[in-house]
Amino acid sequence: MRFSVYQISRRGGREKNEDRMGYCYTRDSGLFALADGMGGHPEGEVASQMSLQTMAGLFQRDAKPVIREPRRFLTESILAGHHALIRYATERALLDTPRTTIVACILQGREAYWAHCGDSRLYLVRGGRLQARTRDHSYSELQESLNGVVPLGDKVNRNVLFTCLGSPGKPVVDLVGPVTLQPGDKLLLCSDGLWGALDDDTITRILAESAISDAAPDLVERALRIAGEKSDNVTVIAVEWESAEDDETLTGIETEALGDEVFASTIQAGAGVGSPDDLLDEAEIERSIREINEAIKRSAQKRG
Amino acid sequence: MSKQKPAPLPPGTVVGGYQIIRKLAAGGFGVVYLAEDAERRLVALKEYLPSSLAERSAGELIPRVKPEKQPLYRLGLKSFFEEGRSLAQISHQSVVSVLNFFRENETVYMVMNYLQGDTLQDFIVTARDLKRDKVFRESTIRSLFDEILRGLRIVHQHKMLHLDIKPANIFVTNENKAVMLDFGAAREVLSKEGNFIRPMYTPGFAAPEMYRRDGTLGPWTDIYAIGACIYACMQGYPPNDAPQRIEKDRLSLSLSRLRNVYSDNLIEVTEWCMSLDPLARPQSVFALQKELSRETERRYTKLSFSERLKLQLENIKSGAKA
Repeated sequence: MRFSVYQISRRGGREKNEDRMGYCYTRDSGLFALADGMGGHPEGEVASQMSLQTMAGLFQRDAKPVIREPRRFLTESILAGHHALIRYATERALLDTPRTTIVACILQGREAYWAHCGDSRLYLVRGGRLQARTRDHSYSELQESLNGVVPLGDKVNRNVLFTCLGSPGKPVVDLVGPVTLQPGDKLLLCSDGLWGALDDDTITRILAESAISDAAPDLVERALRIAGEKSDNVTVIAVEWESAEDDETLTGIETEALGDEVFASTIQAGAGVGSPDDLLDEAEIERSIREINEAIKRSAQKRG
Repeated sequence: MSKQKPAPLPPGTVVGGYQIIRKLAAGGFGVVYLAEDAERRLVALKEYLPSSLAERSAGELIPRVKPEKQPLYRLGLKSFFEEGRSLAQISHQSVVSVLNFFRENETVYMVMNYLQGDTLQDFIVTARDLKRDKVFRESTIRSLFDEILRGLRIVHQHKMLHLDIKPANIFVTNENKAVMLDFGAAREVLSKEGNFIRPMYTPGFAAPEMYRRDGTLGPWTDIYAIGACIYACMQGYPPNDAPQRIEKDRLSLSLSRLRNVYSDNLIEVTEWCMSLDPLARPQSVFALQKELSRETERRYTKLSFSERLKLQLENIKSGAKA
């Protein structure tokens, strides 16, 4: 397999960035995932991180070096993340469960498979055209999909999601694939911070026009600029399949040379998936920063 | 392909509400910038960007870390946090203070007081070029290290070691205050993970136990470095490094050159701090402070005839200037 990947996450005007992203791969299979922890519920960053870690952990376990049933894997690993969140909330006796959206894609052989829950999206662009995009699990997109057959009352907030990980009901997971890829196909996983500010045409055009290493940061920058001070966090992972980009780029990944056992990941596995304790996960990083700033405040008070 | 250092952020870049003015320094662990906050106050902004693990092309904001380097990158990050956490707890005028700590561009930043002045290293170089018999006056050395030791004592009280005390890490502000910079607990942790990072120690100032994998580090390790700093303040040059000293120790000899220039007590304290055996050194900053601040009449002992002769022979042998 040969692909290029570029990921970027930027904090908008929000206090913290609860978006998480990452990818991992073996010689013959790649997993790309993005999660957007939800505000209005506790510990959104824990939710997004935990859902990705769970997926990455299972991917490492199952991709030997291929995932035998990618569709089943996607559904099960997303649900496993959901259960991990419920467990997390129960163990800590939280009044509410941390919640997150998720979108994930597996590339294997020449096929792509993807699944999502919530309103984090996947775009597939081929030759300048939008080939496919996920439909959000929001009332507004639901209505669009149903072509207005089911009328929604005006009282319904159209942007509210009717499903996500960590919610009381079983999450809805939409699956697509296998989709046969062609060289140069570009996939984009993004949080609503991106598509909330840029329409599909713009996203497609920018993605088609330049290499992902330029397109991804460009898209994010535009979204942040358009949304202004109140911008949501913007996170994207862009993947180009069998990219024509020269081998010099840092983003190119050629998995052919990897051994059977190799597993590479930008997602840090959580405790219990075999990671040494002294590695930080996202939640810990956030906690550390919070603690340091509290200590700074205390010391500053002492100084007077 | 030659390994390039990650590019620093260009002047004008805004991170976490701080606008970068220029790069001040770059080390194995990251880059320090001069920046200003929203109220246009100057700060020093330290970016976690380990040069051996992260890559960043000019014009980019977010460093890239190859998947296989992620674990070490994370480990280094943890150490960076440790440094921040320790410094955040310390509020002492001789220890650089942390003002803020935040995350951006997928890395972390520590905001510190920006100090105006020069490093002790600059002062030593300037002073020694004047070619007087004394680099610094003894009273200057005593008061300088009195301040530094007060700060170091607080650092040790917070169960933290500096591990890279050297004149270049001691800052003398325009208000004549000595401030310790660059708390490198991070270096220690990272170096344990294999030799991918340049030697964490500074030859001449690093105690012998720092060269050993199993060496037990403690306050005595920083005290060795303090001794070496005092030595440099008297001699104008750093002492021989520890491995050299273990092979053939010329410390007493070179210190004897300073007899009658500096008091016997100061020379003895320096030698005490720089004992090769960790247990033979002052075991705590307090013990050293007590010795250094003892205000008795200073005794100066001239070299005896035989000592002078020995010194001259040694000079001829080593080809050093008299």
